[in-house]
Amino acid sequence: MITVERLTKRYGPFTAVDDVSFEVKPGLVTGFLGPNGAGKTTAMRVMAGLTPATSGRATVLGKPYAALPNPGRHVGLLLDASAQHAGRTGREVLTLGAILMGVGKHRVDEMVELVGLTEKEANRRVRNYSLGMRQRLGIAHALLGDPEVLILDEPANGLDPAGIRWMRDLLRGYANEGGTVLLSSHLLNEIERVADEIIVIGHGKIVAQGTKDELLAGAGTYTRSTDDEALMAALAEASIVAQRTPTGGLQVEAEPIAVGRVALAHQIVLTELRGADSRGLEEMFLDLTAGAAREEVAA
Amino acid sequence: MTATTTTQVPGGAPVSKNAESALPTHAKVPSRIAGPRPTTGVPFGRLVHVELRKMLDTRAGRWLLIGIGAIIAIALTIMFFNEGGQHAFGEYLQATTMPMALILPVVGILAVTSEWSQRTGLVTFGLEPRRIRVAWAKLLSALFVGVCAFALALVLAALAHQAAITFRGITGDWSTDALVLLGAGGYVLLGIAQGVGFGMLFKNTPAAVVVFFVLPTAWSILGSMVSWLSDAATWLDMNQTMQPLFEGSLTGAQWAHLATSVAVWVVAPLAVGIWRLTRAEVK
Repeated sequence: MITVERLTKRYGPFTAVDDVSFEVKPGLVTGFLGPNGAGKTTAMRVMAGLTPATSGRATVLGKPYAALPNPGRHVGLLLDASAQHAGRTGREVLTLGAILMGVGKHRVDEMVELVGLTEKEANRRVRNYSLGMRQRLGIAHALLGDPEVLILDEPANGLDPAGIRWMRDLLRGYANEGGTVLLSSHLLNEIERVADEIIVIGHGKIVAQGTKDELLAGAGTYTRSTDDEALMAALAEASIVAQRTPTGGLQVEAEPIAVGRVALAHQIVLTELRGADSRGLEEMFLDLTAGAAREEVAA
Repeated sequence: MTATTTTQVPGGAPVSKNAESALPTHAKVPSRIAGPRPTTGVPFGRLVHVELRKMLDTRAGRWLLIGIGAIIAIALTIMFFNEGGQHAFGEYLQATTMPMALILPVVGILAVTSEWSQRTGLVTFGLEPRRIRVAWAKLLSALFVGVCAFALALVLAALAHQAAITFRGITGDWSTDALVLLGAGGYVLLGIAQGVGFGMLFKNTPAAVVVFFVLPTAWSILGSMVSWLSDAATWLDMNQTMQPLFEGSLTGAQWAHLATSVAVWVVAPLAVGIWRLTRAEVK
C-alpha cells in the first residue's frame, strides 16, 4: 500500500513532480507510465525517502518511508539497476543486503536461483554484468527481505521479451499473494503486459489513471467485414461514429457489442470484431512524448 | 531493446561460454520468510558490520590494504639492512605507522564517496533511511580498521626490532613513551576520521583525496612564504601540531594547538559532512 498525496517536487524553477496524488493498492500490479523525464523516478525516490518533497507527502504501509523499521523487510526497492558498486560481485551485493536486513545467507542463494543467475555469474563482479543481468540482480535484491511492497523503476529495461514475460509472471504471482507492486516504464506495451492499474504521468502531472480495462475501454472497437461500405452506412444510421483505417477495416467509437448488433441487424458478415488496441492510451501517450521532450532533470 | 546472446534453443547451436544464463522458464514466487516482519529498526552493530565489510569487499579497498602492506614490508626491509639494522623500536614503529597514516584515510574517503560515485547510496539509504546512523557506522567502522591497523603496526614493528636484535646483533632499544604511542595511534585515527569527514563534505572521491593530500603541503609551502600564515600554521597545520606528540612531550600551549587543528580539520568537516549527508538528495 502506497499513498501519495498532493506531492510536488521543484528544482529551482523546474517542477519535476506537480501536485500528484494516487494510491497503489495491495494485490495489484500498478504501472507508472510516462515518457522519460515525466517525473516517475523523482516521485519514486520521494516515496523511498531519498529525495525530500517540496510539498505534499508519500507514505508506504501507512508511514513515511523513513519511519519504517528495517525498511528492507517491508519494502523492496529497485531504483536503478546500474547503481551498484562495479567492484563487488553480485553475490556480495546480496550478502550485504541480507546481513543488514537480518535474513539468513540461504536467502541469498534462494534469490540468486530465483532470478536464474548461475553460481558463476553470481560470483562475477557487477562491472561485467549486462544491463539485463543487473536488472535481475536488482530484482533479487528487492525481493531479498520478503517485502510487502515493491517499488521498481524501469525494471524491464534491458530484459528481452522472454525476460519481460518472466517478470510479469513473477509480479503477478507476488501480487496474487497480497503484495503491492508499483513499477514504472516509459514503454506502453511493457506496462500493458504487466500492470492491472495504470497511472500515466507527463510533465510531472498525472494525466490518466485507472484500471487497464478502464483506460483501454475508451479505445473503441476495431472491425472488418465482407462489406465495410455497408457497415459504415449502417453504423452511421445508428449514429455511431466510424472511420476507415489506412490498413483496411473500421475503427468504431463504440463497444464491440454495439457494432455486432448493428451488423446482425443489417446482416453484414463480420470477419473481425474486437476491442481496439490501446489506441486511446497510445495516442495520449504519444502526445505526451511529442510535447517538448524533456530530459529528466534529476536522472 | 538490446540484442542479447542469451537465447538458448534446446538442441540448438552451442552457446558460447560467456553467454549469460537464460531466465528460468517459469517465474517462481519468492518464498515467505517465516515469522512476523520486524518492528524494530536495524541494530547499530549490523550497520557497522556491513560498513566494515563494504570497505574490504571491493577491489579498490583490497588493493589499498595490499599497497599499505607492501610499503610497510619495503620500509622494514630497508631499515633492517640500513646501518646494520641499528634502529630503536620507536623508529620501526614509525616505519609501520606512517604508510598506514598516509593511505588509510583514503579507505575512509572511499567508504563515503563510493556511495555517491558508485551510486550505492540508493541501496544504502534505502535500507537505512536514518542516515545519521549510517554516517556514524561509517566513521566507527573506519576507526575500527584504524585500531586494527595500528595494533598490527605495533606487532610488525616489534617483530622487526626483535628480528634485528636476533639476526643483526643490534642492541635492543624498546623504550617507548605512552605519549609517543598515543601520538602514533592518534596520527592514524585522526587521519582516518579526517578522511571520512572530507568524504562526507565533498561527496566526491577526487576532490576529497586531492584536498586531503594537498592541504599539509600547502601549509608548509604557503607558511614559508607568508609570515602570518606561518603563525596560523602553528595552530592549524596538523603536521606541526602533531609533532610534539611524537617527541613525547606536550606543553599546555601545544595541547591547545593540537586541539584547535583537530577541531578545524577533523571535527568541523565531520560535523558539516554529516549534516550534508543527512540532507542530500540521493540519486
